[in-house]
Amino acid sequence: MSVTIIRKKKKFADKPNFSEKKMYRPSDVKETGLAFIGHEISDDGKVMNQFLHYDQLYTIRHGWNSTFFKGLLEGKIWGTRCPKCGDIWVPIRTHCWNLDCDLEITEWIEMPLTAKVHTWTIAGWSGRSSLKRLPIILVYAVIGDSKVAIANELHGINPWDVEFQMPLKVVFKPQEDRVGAVTDFHFEPAEGWTPSPMNPEKERIKKLIEPVYEWVKTMK
Amino acid sequence: MTRKVCIVGGSTTPFDYGPTGFETIEGGAAECIREVQKDVPNFSLRDVDLMIYSHFSVHFGHQLCSEWIIHDHLGLVGVPHYRVENGGNTGGSALYAAALAVKSGQHDVVGVIGWETMDSVSQSQGSEFIALASDIRYELLVGGIYPIYYAAMANKWMKDNNVKEEDVASIGAKNRNHAMDNPKAQWYRNEHKYITVDDVMNSRLISYPIKKYDCCLMSRGVAFLLVCSEEYAKKVNPDHYCTLDGLGLSSCTIRAGDRLNFPGWTERYGEGYPEMTEFGACRASAEMAYKMAGIKNPLKEIDLGEIHDAFSTSEAQIYKALGLADTENIAQFLRDEQTHMHGEIPMNPGGGLMGYGHPVGATGIMSSIECFYQLAGMIPKKHLGKKTEVPDASCGIVNSHAGTGTSISNFIMRRH
Repeated sequence: MSVTIIRKKKKFADKPNFSEKKMYRPSDVKETGLAFIGHEISDDGKVMNQFLHYDQLYTIRHGWNSTFFKGLLEGKIWGTRCPKCGDIWVPIRTHCWNLDCDLEITEWIEMPLTAKVHTWTIAGWSGRSSLKRLPIILVYAVIGDSKVAIANELHGINPWDVEFQMPLKVVFKPQEDRVGAVTDFHFEPAEGWTPSPMNPEKERIKKLIEPVYEWVKTMK
Repeated sequence: MTRKVCIVGGSTTPFDYGPTGFETIEGGAAECIREVQKDVPNFSLRDVDLMIYSHFSVHFGHQLCSEWIIHDHLGLVGVPHYRVENGGNTGGSALYAAALAVKSGQHDVVGVIGWETMDSVSQSQGSEFIALASDIRYELLVGGIYPIYYAAMANKWMKDNNVKEEDVASIGAKNRNHAMDNPKAQWYRNEHKYITVDDVMNSRLISYPIKKYDCCLMSRGVAFLLVCSEEYAKKVNPDHYCTLDGLGLSSCTIRAGDRLNFPGWTERYGEGYPEMTEFGACRASAEMAYKMAGIKNPLKEIDLGEIHDAFSTSEAQIYKALGLADTENIAQFLRDEQTHMHGEIPMNPGGGLMGYGHPVGATGIMSSIECFYQLAGMIPKKHLGKKTEVPDASCGIVNSHAGTGTSISNFIMRRH
């Protein structure tokens, strides 16, 4: 006679239930999967090119990082801190980076909405989805006492006026426009900060940017 | 004592963006091997006992496991194969894997094939695909493309090291002008003109301080390198083989902003290194390769380099990470043109990523091949003349680089 032993399945975490979903997908985005949608043949008849279209919705499961991205919806910047060594991070780490802390699980802390520019650049070219917003000032800034710098855009300033170590504030989009992504916030100069006078480098940047403004105007 | 690793041959298809006449990856791979068979008549595909495939992105290839297409096209059923992927350092990492395979004694003759077909999408979409190798949760939406991350790093590095835009622009001009001597190079095949520092300075802004001619090219291309034991090298190419005397591979953070205070680097190199400005993984992997090859003074002992000039700024940053100059003298090192053909250590005489092209999976293999040609005395045969030949070169460095400096390998190659 055979005996069936039923062991209790080990549960690692409660399965989350999602009863609310917010979609803001543009109406022209369709998930049609893989399709060959056309071809061309060279005039000499020797070479053929074929056009493959692929369109796929991905689910990014934020899991243990969710507090950070949910915080963005609420207009908060969450960081994490190692209870052993005290290091703080934004972008967050759920386990400490210090090998002596043996991957200690970190704790969540709400960060101040103030930062400092670590380094910066002014983009005159970007990925397809950002072209119309050029020129973009990108800064790597240290929020509060974070041990790392986070990348984001700096608004409210002429591109040539950015400075290393300039003080910043974190500014969130209106609540209804937030999507739980890092683009829900940007940096702006802190109250009371004023740019230094024009100098040769600022003039150089101004000259480099001029054609970018013109080019963006011609974009459909 | 582990075995010596040797290189006996290599070849690429022409690199280009658009039709090359070598459109299929399997056809391109076959043609590269046919060229090597002409250079090394005693080499037969029957001798290969391992194939390592070097390919970065399925997004460009629109085909999972495309190495399987190449492998059976070459008639190599039954021969073991696998693919290596490590961002821009895919080629270097594949060479590293091939070297370990030979060193271990497990394999004797290892073929390495690298490729990328980046012209299967538009340039701006291609830039966005490459940026999927950044941490998409934090960086893709705000930076968008790698030149922006690199520009932010370079801007501070240049200020910290007193390096001017013109100093790095000379690298952009140098590598493109080298490519004018190399018929397989994308710059030779397309724009086909000599340029000046002023041309670089006046080219379109990509992300300050980087302009269009400070940037590498997006490419289609295939490359093949033959790595083997010394016994096999002596058998098939006794007069023109090179030894791979030093190997180094190292890693850094995916997000450049995370390396201001990383404990692993602080322990190794002290506070404030690599910051967001230096390439710690390049320094660490170069130190490994130098130690293994017995190099004490790289500037004096190495005759040339084929290195990862994704941007003219990053080539300059790499010089420093390789120990060729330090904070005190890097600006003067650049102004003295020490890495031009007439300098102490010519860099990228083959054209580099800015001149030859950057089909990611093929790039590190291309750099290795160009270095091999220099050491094996094959430049007059492979380039248009001797203008880009480093005379009497006996030792070269090959560098392959990924992410924002996230994975970097260095190799010391010597003429036998």
